Amino acid sequence: MYDAFVVALSVFIGVAGHELLGMSMLSRPIVVAPLVGALMGDLQLGLLVGASLEALFMGVVNVGISSTAEPALAAGLATAFSIKMGGNIEAIIPLVFPLAVLGLQLMNMIFSFVCGPMATKFFKLAREGNEGGMIRLHFIMWVIHYGIYALIPFFAVLFGADVVKAVLDSIPKVIMNGLTVAGNLLPAVGMAMLLRMLWSKDIAVWFFFGVIVMAYLEIPLIAIAAIGTIIAIVIAQRDMQIKKMQTVQLQNVTSPVSSSLDDEEEDFFR
Amino acid sequence: MKISKSITKDEKKLVNKMFWRSMTMYASVNPVTMGGGGFAYSMMPFINHFYKNEEDRKLALERHAQYFSTTIPCSSFIMGIAASMEKDNSQRSDFNVESINAIKTSLMGPLAGIGDSLFWGVWRVVAAGLAINLAYAGNILAPIIFLVVFNIPNYLCRYYGGLLGYSLGSKYIEQMYSNGLITILTKAASILGLIMVGAMTISMVKFNTVLTLSMKGKEIMNVQQVLDSIFKGIIPLLVTLVCFKLLDKKVGVIKIIFGIVVLGIILSLLGIA
Repeated sequence: MYDAFVVALSVFIGVAGHELLGMSMLSRPIVVAPLVGALMGDLQLGLLVGASLEALFMGVVNVGISSTAEPALAAGLATAFSIKMGGNIEAIIPLVFPLAVLGLQLMNMIFSFVCGPMATKFFKLAREGNEGGMIRLHFIMWVIHYGIYALIPFFAVLFGADVVKAVLDSIPKVIMNGLTVAGNLLPAVGMAMLLRMLWSKDIAVWFFFGVIVMAYLEIPLIAIAAIGTIIAIVIAQRDMQIKKMQTVQLQNVTSPVSSSLDDEEEDFFR
Repeated sequence: MKISKSITKDEKKLVNKMFWRSMTMYASVNPVTMGGGGFAYSMMPFINHFYKNEEDRKLALERHAQYFSTTIPCSSFIMGIAASMEKDNSQRSDFNVESINAIKTSLMGPLAGIGDSLFWGVWRVVAAGLAINLAYAGNILAPIIFLVVFNIPNYLCRYYGGLLGYSLGSKYIEQMYSNGLITILTKAASILGLIMVGAMTISMVKFNTVLTLSMKGKEIMNVQQVLDSIFKGIIPLLVTLVCFKLLDKKVGVIKIIFGIVVLGIILSLLGIA
């Protein structure tokens, strides 16, 4: 029970602290594993597990819905099982990895279907001018998001990894898959809200420019940002020129010299 | 620091408050507004300071609760600029409030690109590499060194980014309003924003059908390939545009979300996705 609690706590501190303290990387294995180790009385082993998992997860950063396994959960469980079952880290990692994959799926489910609907309350509270409510919601969502998640390591350590995996596996594949499909489509709502802020008929075509470039050239977002910046600058320059010409014309109309010029032109065209 | 010279003491206090609040930007992270809740939370000190009128405050809160997502060390820079624009808005009657979110949206894409690769791609790997070696050697300071090495630039960037954004905004936005450049800037920012939203529609909204038509056990048609050959990313694009239309028709966000969930399960039941 104590073990289950401290592992859950460590994972919570990792993933939740990471978000609360400005993506401070508290959720990385190099932090979570030694923390679990220290709380379970074997800091040295925690350090070792942390180092090997950190190396394993080097390329993994969880952004939105992506990636395969969640590092903090993997680190917490790997450390706990290493300490309980004794030493061999290489054998432990394949054991906890599937659970960390499931963990990430569950976290995405919470993200999509608990936090998503809850977030719409922000607009209602804002319209009411209820600042306190917005602040409460902001932190309640934080607790719920990572609190539910921390239940996985809790039960995994309490009942063993196999039991938890079996329970999570027993959710019908069709439903799991359907939720994943929906989760993948859900960012469309965010995009639609952005479009509502930016859309106007004369520039809407640029949205489709972004779509086409990304769909067919598959270049990184930063490259599209650079291209977009150049386009924006070119258009701003053109607009500035037009503005300058307009002011010059305005001056011409008012000054007598130019009016005679206009006359000449009119003569010419006649 | 030179950049803070143009800011009054009161304003600096507000920027500091924003800095602390901006830490929690992603606490309420969600697929609909990402860091929108945290952004509004970070802007509250400014909103309450600049607006005396209850109605203006509500509008500002709603404005900043909208979708926002960028690499978190860069977030305070955008918050600083947005705050300076709110200040202008509270002082002049001819302010175009749409320019605030246009500028926010145009900045978040490029800054996310730079911030992601710099902080997560490069700096985190450097810090982790350092710590891994220490941890293998059994040094108990490894996790602490990792956190300190990673977070000093993280926090410095956020702190000075906020000040820089605010003072830049205060200095130039007012000027741009006076000489009319703001409409040009807003348009340019909106264009960049639209391009980024278009690109993100493809990179973030994902759909793949597993549907194939087969005859006598031989696959004769891979539906995803057919969809791709019509237009790559056609489904994410259509779903986004439908959501956009629904929002335009004042359909609630929560209804749209549940609609998507039901759609996902139906597609899964039918074996389409």
